[in-house]
Amino acid sequence: MNASTKNDTSAENGEHRVDLTPIPLLETIRAHGRVWGDLAAQYGVTNPDPPWKVNLEATCDGLSAEACALPLLERRQEEDELSASLYADVPFPERQLLALAHSMIKRGLVDEGELARRMKQVHERLTSV
Amino acid sequence: MSDKPHEHKPAPMVDEVSDFEALEIAVRELAIEKGLFSAEDHRRWTEYVHTLGPLPAARLVAKAWLDPEYKKLAVTDGVKASLEVGVDWINSPPTGFGTPSDYCNLRVLEDTPKLKHVVVCTLCSCYPRPILGQSPEWYRTPNYRRRLVRWPRQVLAEFGLQLPPDIEIRVADSNQKTRYMVMPTRPAGTEGWSEEQLAEIVTRDCLIGVAVPKPGVKANAKRPVHPAVHPVHHDH
Repeated sequence: MNASTKNDTSAENGEHRVDLTPIPLLETIRAHGRVWGDLAAQYGVTNPDPPWKVNLEATCDGLSAEACALPLLERRQEEDELSASLYADVPFPERQLLALAHSMIKRGLVDEGELARRMKQVHERLTSV
Repeated sequence: MSDKPHEHKPAPMVDEVSDFEALEIAVRELAIEKGLFSAEDHRRWTEYVHTLGPLPAARLVAKAWLDPEYKKLAVTDGVKASLEVGVDWINSPPTGFGTPSDYCNLRVLEDTPKLKHVVVCTLCSCYPRPILGQSPEWYRTPNYRRRLVRWPRQVLAEFGLQLPPDIEIRVADSNQKTRYMVMPTRPAGTEGWSEEQLAEIVTRDCLIGVAVPKPGVKANAKRPVHPAVHPVHHDH
């Protein structure tokens, strides 16, 4: 089932927990970002998970445990919805990361523009030498 | 000492920065700058996550197989029994009182020759992380979560675990306050084995309940991940 069909069906039932309107920045990453499985195969790395997965887990823990900006259950329910719709074609844990960013943007915890700018800075920083 | 030159071949590594890696860092940095958590909070959580894995739970089971008194303790007080395999449910997590996703009540479900337990979280993906590490992808999927409680025998068969009809299957649904792990029955062919040998065959899947220990099997089988047919309903 593709994303638009899923969206339509769910919208009729009024069951959305999260705004499923695509976010251009995340759509670009979804479409063009290289997932760990491909990178690992290309470079001959055997670790089944990307190194950033642990950081992602800690970010999710921090968001629910500290200021409770994004409670665990809400995040997981939204991740379920997004994993079955917008990001259905993205493997795990990349899908979890996109869903987290999506939930944060839709809540106004981060802004799409500032996230794009920060990503650019991060990329420049990590590839500067 | 050998006079041959050392040949240290560096381990392969991914030599590019993916958009996903940049996104993870950007999200984390902005969250810290906005005060959603501190850099120190994140460091503590990362260190904690790094320490987690299925080995303590496997050791708990192996120890219980060898020591009837410890088995009694494990079944009646999983949190106390965890201490003997190095897991402090209350004080280890960075909060000092468990975590929102790893509450402090562990129940160890003892299988018998006529009773098989299996664990799920129908609501989200609650999992006994302090003693079992991160949950596998399939455990998180709505497909597993919904179908296991409806058709446990069939779902276990899909995992390669075909149980005779006279074995009762009991599904334990994890929640915010209580986490479960399975203590499978000790398999034949392990007589005289040490705790370490026994722990090696108690895989993560055995501890969730979708597999049973077998001599010679020390790794989890690769599991297919199925999408759910009606994945977005949360009818609670």
